[in-house]
Amino acid sequence: MASRYDRAITVFSPDGHLFQVEYAQEAVKKGSTAVGIRGTNIVVLGVEKKSVAKLQDERTVRKICALDDHVCMAFAGLTADARAVINRARVECQSHKLTVEDPVTVEYITRFIATLKQKYTQSNGRRPFGISALIVGFDDDGIPRLYQTDPSGTYHAWKANAIGRSAKTVREFLEKNYTEDAISNDNETIKLAIRALLEVVQSGGKNIDLAIIRRNQPLKMFSAKEIELQVTEIEKEKEEAEKKKSKK
Amino acid sequence: MAATFFGEVVKAPCRAGTEEEEEEEEESRRETPEDREVRRQLARKREVQLLRRQTKTSLEVALLEKYSCSKFIIAIGNNAVAFLSSFVMNSGVWEEVGCTKLWNEWCRTADTVHLSPADAFCVFYQLKSDPSVLLCQCSCFVAEDQQYQWLEKVFGSRPRKTTKITVLTCRHVTEYKTSESVGSLPSPFLKALKTQHFRDPVCCSLLEQPNIAHGLPAAVLSYCQVWKIPAVLYLCYTDVMKLDLITVEAFKPVLSCSSLKSLAKNIPQSTDILKKLMTAEGTQSNIYT
Repeated sequence: MASRYDRAITVFSPDGHLFQVEYAQEAVKKGSTAVGIRGTNIVVLGVEKKSVAKLQDERTVRKICALDDHVCMAFAGLTADARAVINRARVECQSHKLTVEDPVTVEYITRFIATLKQKYTQSNGRRPFGISALIVGFDDDGIPRLYQTDPSGTYHAWKANAIGRSAKTVREFLEKNYTEDAISNDNETIKLAIRALLEVVQSGGKNIDLAIIRRNQPLKMFSAKEIELQVTEIEKEKEEAEKKKSKK
Repeated sequence: MAATFFGEVVKAPCRAGTEEEEEEEEESRRETPEDREVRRQLARKREVQLLRRQTKTSLEVALLEKYSCSKFIIAIGNNAVAFLSSFVMNSGVWEEVGCTKLWNEWCRTADTVHLSPADAFCVFYQLKSDPSVLLCQCSCFVAEDQQYQWLEKVFGSRPRKTTKITVLTCRHVTEYKTSESVGSLPSPFLKALKTQHFRDPVCCSLLEQPNIAHGLPAAVLSYCQVWKIPAVLYLCYTDVMKLDLITVEAFKPVLSCSSLKSLAKNIPQSTDILKKLMTAEGTQSNIYT
């Protein structure tokens, strides 16, 4: 049945599916994992770095991109589609700032991206964007925000979420471990993001990229050394927890 | 002959056929010598050969007639092959006893003689410490018209009913028919399909209707069902058909089944071997990030 209703984006199947949108969600699963966590005073984005070819410049393979000084996003899915969406979002951020003399709110730019994605599910000759995005930042009111968009054009606010490959495993980990204690402290929130990624990332800390935004501070990308330090701390804590368990 | 409404007489199509029609059809069906030659060449091109790999000489009898075995494990597809390479083959010494060489349109080369091992070989191994265990690593595509040849060359025309066959393979999760949405399925996941004479417990749930097996795994199972050989197919539905760590690890429950339990010994080392295989495969494409 699917084959008759998946050729043109604007066609519903008899049971109400838009197959192209669902197939676009499959494309998202082909991208590596990205996780976003909203802490009390911090927002964290962690991604699984793709392995780059020997001759490829690593800097050009980025999953975390700033949309403005106070907003950034991580995506999973088709690289070229992400570039198109990010460019449009960046232009919108500046246009908004120039027009109303205020920076965009995280919700505004998320809604803009989601509306853009939805338009592409409802015009003929176009296919949906094959990306999901996690958008984080602080608004002027100082409240941290985390939103997720998907190829259908829906967006929701989350306390913590994951997209891409193995997103389900990471989300289950977050559901178990996201507690008020875990996010009360900035460092603990960062560790929670790394621990969530370590559940699914193959070669440990060197395959993780991390970015944080603290209230009234610009985006900070963690260096490989800083991530390694965090990973070492996490492994130490794990060993200590296991020792305690075996003593009991 | 029949009369139409308007009174004209027309030649009505007759399924029984008339003498004249049969002669006409026979003429068009009659093969020219060129047709026969083309057909012969094509058949030769697509022949499945069973060889001793090192010497490249043909094995005169079917593989399982030459090497009688009690356990025969077949991995079809790169993820299943990687699973056996990492978790089973590293736990013992395996000797290569033969291979099947074949060519079809899916091979990346048009040269049917100088085929690369990656393209068109199924390699057979025998466990040195227990010669009744045979293993097959098949990463090439065996076309529909070649499957019966492959089965005959490997199993022979009178296969033994005492051999237990285990087949491992992957399919894309979008081919799994279910009332749930594909997005909600916890892929990768394992399903089993067995022949009537397979009595051992399976390590995962059985494949539900209307799902079916395809290709060489289906051919093997059908062959075993006909010849009353106990055989089980473990089918991993995954959303990544290329070599993928998570898909390969989804086969792990199979290690608890009777055929493989005694064969997989060093699991931590296996995981390392698997990771090395993954990096050796090279970096992914840039389409998805």
